[in-house]
Amino acid sequence: MKILAIVQLTFRESFAKKTFIAFFGISTLVCLLFIFALNLDIVDGLKSSVSIFGKETPELVNINKLIIGIESAVAVFLFTGGLFMSLFATSGLIPSFLQPGTIDLILSKPLNRIQILSGRFLGAVSIVSFNVIYLIIFSWLILSFKTGIWSGGFLLAGIMIIITFAILYSLMTFLGIVTGSGAFSLMITYLILFFSPLLLERDKIYALLSGKFYGYLLDALYHFSPKTSELGNITRLLVQGSPVSSWLPLWTSLFFGVIMYIISTFLFSRKNF
Amino acid sequence: MFAIETSNLTKYYSNGKVKALEDLSLQVNKGQIFSLLGPNGAGKTTLIKLLLGICHPTRGNATLLGTSIGNYKSHANLGYLAENQRFPDFLNAHQVLYYFGKMNGLKKTLLLERIPGLLQLVKLADWEHVKIRKYSKGMLQRLAIAQAMINDPELLFLDEPTDDIDPVGRREVRDILIDLRNNGKTIFLNSHLLSEVERVSDEIAILKNGRLIRKGDVQQFISVKDTYQLNLQNGEKLIFPICEKLNIAVRRQQDVYVISVNDDHHLNKLIDTLREQRIIIRAVIPYKISLEDFFIEILEEEKGN
Repeated sequence: MKILAIVQLTFRESFAKKTFIAFFGISTLVCLLFIFALNLDIVDGLKSSVSIFGKETPELVNINKLIIGIESAVAVFLFTGGLFMSLFATSGLIPSFLQPGTIDLILSKPLNRIQILSGRFLGAVSIVSFNVIYLIIFSWLILSFKTGIWSGGFLLAGIMIIITFAILYSLMTFLGIVTGSGAFSLMITYLILFFSPLLLERDKIYALLSGKFYGYLLDALYHFSPKTSELGNITRLLVQGSPVSSWLPLWTSLFFGVIMYIISTFLFSRKNF
Repeated sequence: MFAIETSNLTKYYSNGKVKALEDLSLQVNKGQIFSLLGPNGAGKTTLIKLLLGICHPTRGNATLLGTSIGNYKSHANLGYLAENQRFPDFLNAHQVLYYFGKMNGLKKTLLLERIPGLLQLVKLADWEHVKIRKYSKGMLQRLAIAQAMINDPELLFLDEPTDDIDPVGRREVRDILIDLRNNGKTIFLNSHLLSEVERVSDEIAILKNGRLIRKGDVQQFISVKDTYQLNLQNGEKLIFPICEKLNIAVRRQQDVYVISVNDDHHLNKLIDTLREQRIIIRAVIPYKISLEDFFIEILEEEKGN
């Protein structure tokens, strides 16, 4: 498959960046920590002793709660720090791809423009997936083997994190094609990522606004933009094994991602280089 | 079927304010080296970009090997060396050829077979596994030539292929191009080095301000009708009076004489007279101007118009 060559090349390019090496290194450290530093002795579902770096903790804790706590911490790290680092590391992939001398050569290959952009997009998503899956799978396996508790919610959290990245990356792709600037795309995407909790609490902001128009504007922004705050909440609930009250934020965020991606491919197909 | 055929191909930028190419109709036969000449901003690179689908025409159409330029599948039989080409610098030469070959849809086994030979051809075999960030400009250009040939294309677009290459390397590139042409490939060349173009091209086209102003056989363009170079061993004193008597214009150009005759009979009469005077004729060669002279002449003629 010709498109696979672009995916592989993007994967290699991403891996050549030090940010992903750092991400990979941190993931490996977390796994090593679970392997060597965390020792658990379990009797009838309760720990008889837990030691971290050889030091025992004094209280008795339900082992289920402990594992969910550790998995939640990993998921939160991935949803915040992991996404932050991944967006930073992939922000330059689209603009660098559109540079004269690079895009000319790729467009001269027997690939249509949708395949080319999709290859780049999938390449970026695949490197982030690789890092997320690496950390999630290995930490899950280590924790599960050590405790005998096999909680599938943690794995679902990994999928949610990858989906959230793909949604945000579709916005970065759109901005990268329109502006050709990795820094600008990153700034706007971070804005969406970090202002999502504010939009969720927009009811509290209405009181401060002078006119109804701003209220409608906030509503429109909330409904159209990806709901990263709620996606984070869904991720947390999945790890805890708690029921998710509404999947709507996921569907509307996915819709946003698909729309951004369709607009991006349309613009890319019509662009002159 | 032509290798390249364009019909009223036009490209405007900035809502028509910049006319990069205007109503270009051009045919390039298969199996030849066709060169595109023109001053900076004439539309040469725009034409290549339009043909390769890198930018879209404002109007008009074109075909490559009989397939419309809108159909990306025709690119399977094309090779392209872009001006200021940039390869990912974290790859080595082998990986560059491998990944860009894969984009052509080539199988891994075929690529592994083909890559060493291509690197040998462009004299990069010893550098196969060295990261290309360590390469000189000339080496990168040679790698770009190998990349353009990775899919054994029927039609090659080379935009300034000898840029940054030293004279020896240039000669090697020239030999590669001639070999490819002899093997039936069509080469579409865009180069500022007119001496190189003159040596290798079968046909040329000259663009100016986005318009085609000349197209034809390069040898016909540079040959001057009924004008010859005479290389004589002796008779320096006799040549001018003889030519005057026969009403032949003559001038000395370094070690040879340049004569303008009316026709072949006129030339033969001169030769007979020189031999009667026991002047030894070393060579009679049709006189040619350089492509550079022709190019400048055409541009000035157009300027006058």
